[in-house]
Amino acid sequence: MAAVRCIDVCKTYLQGNQEIRALDHLSIEIEAGGFVCLSSPSGGGKTTLLNAIGGLDRPDSGEVWIEDQRIDTMGKSELADLRLRKIGFVFQAYNLIPVLTARENVEFVMQVQGRKAAERRERSTELLEEVGLAGLEDRRPAQMSGGQQQRVAVARAIVSRPTLVLADEPTANLDSKTSDGLMDLFEELNTKHETTFVIATHDQRVMAHVPRLVRMLDGRIVDDIEQHAA
Amino acid sequence: MNLVVRLAWRNLWRQPRRTWLTIGAITFSNILLVFMMSLQFGMYNLMIDNSLQAFTGHMQVQAPGFVDDHRMRQTVPDVAGLAQSLRESLTLDTVAARAQAFVLASSEERSYGVAVIGVEPQFERNVSSIPGLVGEGRFFDDRDAAEIVVGSVLARNLRVGLGDELTILGSGLDGSFAAAVLTVVGIIDSGIPDLDRTLAEIPLGLFQEVFSMRGAGHQIVINAANIDLAPELQLRVEHLLAGNADVVVQEWDRLQPGLRQAIQADMSSSFFMYGVLTILVAFSVLNTQLMSVLERTREFGIVMALGLKPGRLGRLVMLETAIMGGVGGILGALAGSAITWYFSANGFQIPGMEEMAAQFNLPARMYPQVSRLSVSLGPGIVLAFSLLAAAYPALRLHWLRPVEAMRAA
Amino acid sequence: MNTLRVLLMLAWRNLWRNHRRTFIMLAAISVGVWAMIFMTALTQGMVNDMVNDGISALPGHVQVHHPAYRDDPNVNNLIATPDTEISARFGAAGFRQWASRVKVPAVIASEREARGVTLLGIDPDRERGLTFIVDDRVEGRFLDGVSDTGIVIGRKLANTLETDVGKRVVIMSQDPNNDIAERGFRVAGVFDANMPSFEENYVFAGKQTVQKLLKIGQRVTEIVVLGDDYRDVDGLYRKVEELVDEDVIVNRWFELDTYLGTMLRVMDGFVLVWVVVIFLALSFGLVNTLVMAVFERVREIGLMMALGMKPSSIRGQILIESMLLLVIGLAIGNVLAVASIEPLRSGIDLSIVAEGMAMMGAASVLYPQLRMEDVVLANVVVLILGFFASLSPAWRASRLEPIEAITRVD
Repeated sequence: MAAVRCIDVCKTYLQGNQEIRALDHLSIEIEAGGFVCLSSPSGGGKTTLLNAIGGLDRPDSGEVWIEDQRIDTMGKSELADLRLRKIGFVFQAYNLIPVLTARENVEFVMQVQGRKAAERRERSTELLEEVGLAGLEDRRPAQMSGGQQQRVAVARAIVSRPTLVLADEPTANLDSKTSDGLMDLFEELNTKHETTFVIATHDQRVMAHVPRLVRMLDGRIVDDIEQHAA
Repeated sequence: MNLVVRLAWRNLWRQPRRTWLTIGAITFSNILLVFMMSLQFGMYNLMIDNSLQAFTGHMQVQAPGFVDDHRMRQTVPDVAGLAQSLRESLTLDTVAARAQAFVLASSEERSYGVAVIGVEPQFERNVSSIPGLVGEGRFFDDRDAAEIVVGSVLARNLRVGLGDELTILGSGLDGSFAAAVLTVVGIIDSGIPDLDRTLAEIPLGLFQEVFSMRGAGHQIVINAANIDLAPELQLRVEHLLAGNADVVVQEWDRLQPGLRQAIQADMSSSFFMYGVLTILVAFSVLNTQLMSVLERTREFGIVMALGLKPGRLGRLVMLETAIMGGVGGILGALAGSAITWYFSANGFQIPGMEEMAAQFNLPARMYPQVSRLSVSLGPGIVLAFSLLAAAYPALRLHWLRPVEAMRAA
Repeated sequence: MNTLRVLLMLAWRNLWRNHRRTFIMLAAISVGVWAMIFMTALTQGMVNDMVNDGISALPGHVQVHHPAYRDDPNVNNLIATPDTEISARFGAAGFRQWASRVKVPAVIASEREARGVTLLGIDPDRERGLTFIVDDRVEGRFLDGVSDTGIVIGRKLANTLETDVGKRVVIMSQDPNNDIAERGFRVAGVFDANMPSFEENYVFAGKQTVQKLLKIGQRVTEIVVLGDDYRDVDGLYRKVEELVDEDVIVNRWFELDTYLGTMLRVMDGFVLVWVVVIFLALSFGLVNTLVMAVFERVREIGLMMALGMKPSSIRGQILIESMLLLVIGLAIGNVLAVASIEPLRSGIDLSIVAEGMAMMGAASVLYPQLRMEDVVLANVVVLILGFFASLSPAWRASRLEPIEAITRVD
C-alpha cells in the first residue's frame, strides 16, 4: 500500500484578481518508506501539494489518500486526529510554541495523544539527544538559534513515530553546515524507522541528497527521477 | 486634515476590533451615566419641589428658635399685618401667614392628638398646594369661620365625614383653656402619606381667637417663582426685616434638613458607582493604548531615529485616545439622551418602587429630563479619565531608545 | 485529562507572556469585584440597620392585632383574649422573645406644650431586646414593672415639652366609650434613640397603669414576637397563628411596614443589577484582551492545529485562559473587599447627613454587612458571564485555518 496517493488533484488560488493554478490535475504516489523531494520555483505548487497531503488545505477536486484513508473529504477534527497520529510536520520557520521549552515542545504531540509522562520523558530525552540537543531541554525557543529550533521541530515531528513526515523548506533559514546535518538526520531516520519523508525545497544541496526527486512547474509534475545519493 | 490627525485616525483602524471594543466600553459607561444622571437630577428637583410645594415653601419668617422647637410661645407678633406689608414691599402675592398649635381632636367616636394649622384662606393657596388638593368638599374662604379641613387618613381615623363636627381641645398662648367646635368642610387627598395622616387646617382668624393669640402667629411662608430664585428673594426679605429682632428668615434647607441630606447621601452613593464605572473604563483605555504603543515600538523607533521628538509621538497617542473618547462620548451622549428622551415621554418605573418613592414625596412613575448638564457631565469625566489613563503609555515614549526600539520584534 | 493539563499549562504560560496587559486586566477585574462587594456590603448594612431599627420600633418580627387595628389603631380594637390567657399560651411556646402591649395614640402635655404621641403600655421585663430602648441610654430610670406609675419619654420630646426627669406631664387619650381618659404622670426617665423620630413619637408607661387609665381591664392591643432572622419569619408566623384565636390577625413585619419590606426587596434586586453593570463594564476589557491574545497568537494556534490539536481544544485553551484571569482577579477583589470592610465593621459615621438618613429610615451610623450570599452571587455572576463573554474570541480562535495561520508572513 502506498503511503500517499494523490489522484487528479486541482487547486486554484486567487491572488488579487489573478487566478493561480497551484495544482493542475496532479497525480502522484509515494511508497511507504520513501524519501521524496518536491522542487519547483517559487509558486510552482510544492507547498500547496505538501499542505494537501498533510490535510492542512483542501483541494478543489481530486482525491488525496494517506494509506487507506481518503482525507480530502474529512472534517476538521478528524483531520486533526489523523495528523496527530500519522503525520509529523517541519515548517520553514516558526515551528515551535513559544511558551513551551524544547522538551515540552517535543512532548507536546505525545501529551495531546495522551501518552504517559514516563514514556514521554524517555522518548523526548532520547530524541533530543539524537538531534544533538542534549542539555538544552529546558530552553525556550527564544533562547535557541534557528538551527537548534529546527532540530527541536524535527525531533517533535518524529517523536511519536509518525508514518509520514512532511517538511516545507526545512533548510531555508539555516547555514550550509547546519542544513547538511539536518539532511543527514532525515536520512538516518528514514532508514532506521522506515518513515516516509516528503520534503518541499528549492535548495540544490537538499535535492542532490534524495533518492527520488520530483520537479514541478505551474502545478504539474514535469520530472520524476530516481537518483542515488551522492 | 492635519497630518498628525490623519495619522492618529489611521492608527486607530489598524486594529478595528480593539478600537471598537474600547469605544464600546466608553459608550456603555456614558449611556449609563447620562441616563442615571438625568433620572437622578430630575428626581432631586421633583423631591424638592414636591416636598416644598405642599406645605413648607421656599422660606419662612419665624421667631428665632421656632425652627428647632416649634413651641407655642415662639411667636411672630401681628403675623397677618407683617405678611401684608411683605406682600406690598415685595410686590409678591406668594406670601402667607400661619399659626399652629397642638390639640386633642375628638369626633363622636374617636380622639386623636393633631397639630392644627391656622392659615389665611385668601393667600394660602398661593404658597401651598394643599387648598388645591381638596378631594371632597371645599377649602374655607372666611378668615373667622368655625370650619376645618383634614387629611383623608386622619378623617378616616377620626371617623368623620363632610359636615360632621370636630371638637378641638388644647391650651392658648397664655396657658388658658382653648376649645372649639368646628365643622369639617373639606377632606384633603394629597397622596403624601404624612400629610394625609396629620393635616388639619383652620382659618387664621379663628385660630387666633381660640388660642388667644392676640394677632400673633408662628410663620410667614414665602415662595419665589422657582427654587433657583429663592436665595435672592431671601436676601431681599432679610433686608426688609433687618432691625426686627422678633423674627428671622429660615430657608427651606433649614426647615426640612432631611431633604438636602437625603439628596447628599443618595448622591454620594451614586458618585461612588459612577467613579467605579469611570475607573473601569480608564483601565480599558490604558490597556488598549499601552498595547498599541508596545506594538509600535519598532515603528516609533524608526521615526524617532528620523528625528521626531518623543513629545510629538506622545501627543499622537493622546490624540488617538481623545478620538476614541470623543467618539464614545458622542455615541454615549446620543444613545443616553435617546433612552432618557424615551422615558421622559413614557415614564420610568421600577416594579415595587412605589413605597420607596412615596417616602420621598415622589410619584411611582418617574420622568427623567435630558439636560445639558446630565448629558455632558458623564462623557466629560470619562474623557478626562481616559486621557489620564493614556498619559502613562504616552510618557513611556520618553524612555524609548531609537536603536533598541528598532531592534524590537 | 492529559489534554486538559496541557491546555491548563499553555493557558497559564500564555497569560504571563504579556504580563503588562494581564496586570492591567487583573487590576480592572479586582477593582470591579471590590466595588461590587464593597458597595453591596454598604447597601446591605444600611438595609439591615433600617430593618432592625424598624423592627425595634414596630417592634418584632410577627405581630398579632385585632383585624381592624391596623387601619384604626384605636382603643376599641382590642384583642379579645385576656392578657393572662395570652401569657399562659405564649409563655409556654418557647419563643426567643415576646411581649403583649397596649399601644394607642395619645396627647402628652406639659405646662408649656402639647404633642401627639404613641403611648405604649408595656411589661418592662418582657421588652428587653424588643424595643430600641437600651438601659444605658436612659437618663433617670426605665420602668420597673407593669404597675409603675412613671412615664419614660424621648430626649427630643422632653426638650420640646420643656420637661425633664422628675417633672409632671399629662397624658390624654380616650377610653372605649370615647370619654377622655386623662392622667398625670411623673417623668421617670428620658431616653436617647438612634432615630430622632423615635424620641419624638413614643412614650412608655406600665401596662397595668395604662390599662387602668383606658378602662380596658386585662386586655391589650398587640402581641409581638421576635424570631432569630428577619429574613426568615415564615416558621415563626405559622407557630404564632396556631397559638391565637380566630378573631385576630397575624402579620409579618414586612406586611406591617411595607416601606421596609419593599426596601429589602428592591435592595436585593439592586445588588444583582449593580453586579451585572460592573461586569458589563469589565467585559469590554476582557473581550478586548482575549481578542488581542488570539490575534497575536494566530500562527502558533495554527501550528498547534497542524500538529493535531482539535479545534475544541483550542477553544478550551482560550476559555481556560479567560477563566484563570477571572479567578485571579476575583481572588484579589474578594481579598480587597474583605480587607477594606473589616476596619469599617465598627461603623461608618454619617452624622453629617443624619437627618437625610432618617428620612430614608436609616440611622446615622452605617455598619457594613458582608453577606456570604452576596459574595457568592458576585463571584458566580462574574464567572458565568465571563465564560459567555469569552466564547466569541475562543470560537474565533478555533475557526482559524491552520494553513493561513502558518503561511502568513510578517
